[in-house]
Amino acid sequence: MDVKAKLAKIVGPKNFSDDPAQLKAYSQDFSYTPAGMPNCVVKPANSEEVSAVVKFCSENSIPVVPVSSKIHFYGATIPKEGGVILDMTRMNKILEIDPENRRVRFEAGVTWDKLTKDLEKKGYRVIMPLTPPAERSVLTDFMEREEPTNQVYDYGEPLEAMEVVWPTGEIFRMGSASVNGYPDSMSKGGNPSGPGLDFYRFFQCAQGTMGIVTWTNLKMESIPIKDKVLFAPLEDIGYGIDFLYRILPRRIGQEVLLLNNLDLAAILAEKWPDDFDRLYTTLPTWTLILVVSGLLRRPEEKIAYEEHFLADVIKNEFPDLQLGENLPGFPGLRKKILPILRRPWPAKAPYWKNAVKGACQSLFFHTRPMLVPQFITGVEEIAAQYGYPIGEIGMYIQPIEHNRACRVEFNFFYDPADEEEIAVVRALYNEAAAEFLNDGAIFTRPYGELASIVYEKAAAYARTLKRLKKTFDPNNIMNPGNLCF
Amino acid sequence: MAISKEIYSVLETIVGTEYISDDPVICEAYRSGPGGYENGLGYERVMTTIPGCVIMPRTTEEVQKIVRVCYRNDVPYVPYSTGFYGPRSHPHVEEALLIDLKRMNDFVLDEKHFYVEVGPGMVYSPIQQECMDHGAYVVIGGGGAQASAIANLIGDGWSPLSHRIGLPHRRILGTELVLPDGELIKTGSLATSDDPFWGESPGPDLRGLLRGYTGVRGCLGIVTRMAIKTLPFQPERLEPTGISPNTALALPEKRIKWINFVVPSKEAQVKAMKEIGHAEIGGAVTKVPLFWRAIAKAEDKEHFWEMWGQENEETIANFFIVRVLLIGYTSEEQMEYDERVLMDIMKEVGGEARRTKPSDESWIKNADSAGMWLMCGGYVSVDYVIETLSQATEHGPAYAELKKKYTPPLMPDYGDPGWFQSFELGHQGYSEFLVYWDQDDDTDKVDQFYVDTSKMNIKHRFYTSLLGPHQPLYLTGPKYGPNYHHYMLKVKNEFDPKWMSHPPVPLAHDVFVERAPWMHNMKDWESPEDLPK
Repeated sequence: MDVKAKLAKIVGPKNFSDDPAQLKAYSQDFSYTPAGMPNCVVKPANSEEVSAVVKFCSENSIPVVPVSSKIHFYGATIPKEGGVILDMTRMNKILEIDPENRRVRFEAGVTWDKLTKDLEKKGYRVIMPLTPPAERSVLTDFMEREEPTNQVYDYGEPLEAMEVVWPTGEIFRMGSASVNGYPDSMSKGGNPSGPGLDFYRFFQCAQGTMGIVTWTNLKMESIPIKDKVLFAPLEDIGYGIDFLYRILPRRIGQEVLLLNNLDLAAILAEKWPDDFDRLYTTLPTWTLILVVSGLLRRPEEKIAYEEHFLADVIKNEFPDLQLGENLPGFPGLRKKILPILRRPWPAKAPYWKNAVKGACQSLFFHTRPMLVPQFITGVEEIAAQYGYPIGEIGMYIQPIEHNRACRVEFNFFYDPADEEEIAVVRALYNEAAAEFLNDGAIFTRPYGELASIVYEKAAAYARTLKRLKKTFDPNNIMNPGNLCF
Repeated sequence: MAISKEIYSVLETIVGTEYISDDPVICEAYRSGPGGYENGLGYERVMTTIPGCVIMPRTTEEVQKIVRVCYRNDVPYVPYSTGFYGPRSHPHVEEALLIDLKRMNDFVLDEKHFYVEVGPGMVYSPIQQECMDHGAYVVIGGGGAQASAIANLIGDGWSPLSHRIGLPHRRILGTELVLPDGELIKTGSLATSDDPFWGESPGPDLRGLLRGYTGVRGCLGIVTRMAIKTLPFQPERLEPTGISPNTALALPEKRIKWINFVVPSKEAQVKAMKEIGHAEIGGAVTKVPLFWRAIAKAEDKEHFWEMWGQENEETIANFFIVRVLLIGYTSEEQMEYDERVLMDIMKEVGGEARRTKPSDESWIKNADSAGMWLMCGGYVSVDYVIETLSQATEHGPAYAELKKKYTPPLMPDYGDPGWFQSFELGHQGYSEFLVYWDQDDDTDKVDQFYVDTSKMNIKHRFYTSLLGPHQPLYLTGPKYGPNYHHYMLKVKNEFDPKWMSHPPVPLAHDVFVERAPWMHNMKDWESPEDLPK
């Protein structure tokens, strides 16, 4: 039996394709990563089919590229060595909603749109990153460690126990879902850790190179009863960061983030380009967005104590900070921003990063918040060298865990049809990444060309990763050509 | 293979004459027991021995050199910090080199970014005090404040204070790990910089090698440096009071206080915990077993038995206390808000506040588990698992039922179903089950009980802490994952193909069952012929 016939038999003929027209959709994404064609695509319906496909591919040394949704920005799902696209979009079931333990279990193909709507009907939500596209996989975003905008929870990571298919095809449940017979068991899957080792860690930020996660458990939270969205215009980002150092360890707020005028304009604009141009030119250099919320019990009182604390701190320590429910000059913003922070980016609208010029290359990393001004100066200097206008760099600062750290994102917008501009952005991106790496920026998600830059510096780490990968994927079939594999 | 004079001389060159010894008197001091965790049990008697040599490195580089010498010369070695884990921390094979890490006690506190950076010799007690002096606190695990913070973080690492952050794995930031062959890997932000502030590494996260749900007892290498998250606290000072051993921290009650509530039933206990978590209030929420109260009040062993002897199955079965720690993280006003919410919840479940001492005797201060040895001399937490409150509240009764079969030699505790509590704001539930015995009794049945708990967990489909090296790997392996032991052993064989790092862990309990005649009738699972004997 030939390869294609065998794969078609596993998933059914309707869920197999080697039609070049269909395959082309998998050969590129929103990044400037060079296109790469797969040989075929399969769409399994369940873990057993995933297992059978992977086992067959492992035995025949055929590359497997897992793809869980339709929206990709970093080139990670573009085949580098051909092979089989394992498209998980049919595995889109929400398997359990467990209010008792505030847990939801769902498959890899479940999108932000589906999950948020289903949970909202029951009064729940999951904490979410900034504007995840509606058709993107929730599971992938958490596996790839997208940072949520809500950072008040000490536990940080919402992922719980999950199931994977190893690169050799075995199905394996991790953490407390590993018990015999799960989910028909006393154990409900609230703990991702173990058994034996913290295997789930090996799948985080792995870009599908360590195996395939088929479903996961995730913490869910109640939707607040009442919210108050606060804004502060900032010219000096350092002043805003000092303020966050003061308030976030006191567990103030739910969502909190800092956006520069360009990013915020792109997020808010409805009519392009008029709205965008107006907002871009009139918004303050930086805007701090802070949502204080009243939870299920005594919501007004909760908001009140947070507001009293904020008022005291501002009065006594940050008198120049204008924190209020309105951003001066932008009436009605508070009503508009909350749905943006709590819902995915609608599928029918162009993603805001792509709306500016057609495409966007995002450089993001973790650092200490106090170092943010230094990195901003750095990116401006490098951009100037490449003739990229400083005012056209989008910037987003996501404070993390009581402001112990933050995620910095610099967005370089470009026209995907303009090869010259792509070359400039690419060179600028690579140089900034290399320089920032040397300055202590921490890149935990090295996509594409960034991987070689990062792993050159983390040589011992890369060596160990390769040893580990070899133990699980001896034929290197899982998404080869990514990371250091 | 014995440590030859030549190898000894090489090792001596690495650390200096003062920090290595094969003097039998020194080595004897590293014998497991006579007190401590799991003391006197068959595992200790059968599986532990004194080291052939003890060495005390000061730096990561010295650890690397020592390990390389061992690996080249087939000298088994055992990393050792404070040794809380009793027999499981000690050498299991003859002529092993014990690497005592106590000299590696560097300590840096970053107040602004809420972490401490420590070596494996650093214990919790000074960490907690320094943290509290600078607006933060740490979760001191059940090993107590004199346990190595690193050993605790890669072994267990929880307490009632885990109400806000349950899994200790999440507190691990930049870390250095010397692999069994001497290769050094740095994880988190240390992988690409000298700054340990961040825990995630580039790409797949090798923190997964440090532990599973519980630790791997050094069989995959030696952690020589770790940054650990601290949690923002409230600003008022907790004043030490009392005279040792009856010490406490006096609490500034407008910013921190314990309140004990009597509730009418177990259902009310569970409901209260879920609601408190859901309301996102509190710093700790736990059930208080009647047993704890007797331990806390007892001045000595006789006093304990005098009080405990007055209890019976009915008093145990009808004792329902929820103990809540409120912390004014934000302000006094927040503390008052939390208390109002708490009282609302307690009113709903029929709880009544009892007069509670305005002090902390244990969990913030030192997680004083020493009291657990008070009654009988022998003690072990036979399971301690983070799952959900759905599992946590059913786990203890299953243990209590099984225990009847093994009492005596286990201490009669009138069917006490152990302890459960909320972790991660009620998303998770924690259960712990403790057993006690007199080490002068015949303890063979205690060893059997221990393995029988695995069978009970498998049968009832409970998740458990007792996986990996804590039970026979070939008993639990096929039933969790399934076959997690295959993957664990693949990793072990890749990074330690000569099995030099704490052999025969993670197969030590398998070996114990083979070696101990009284365990043979317990064995109803398959294991390979070539297990280390």
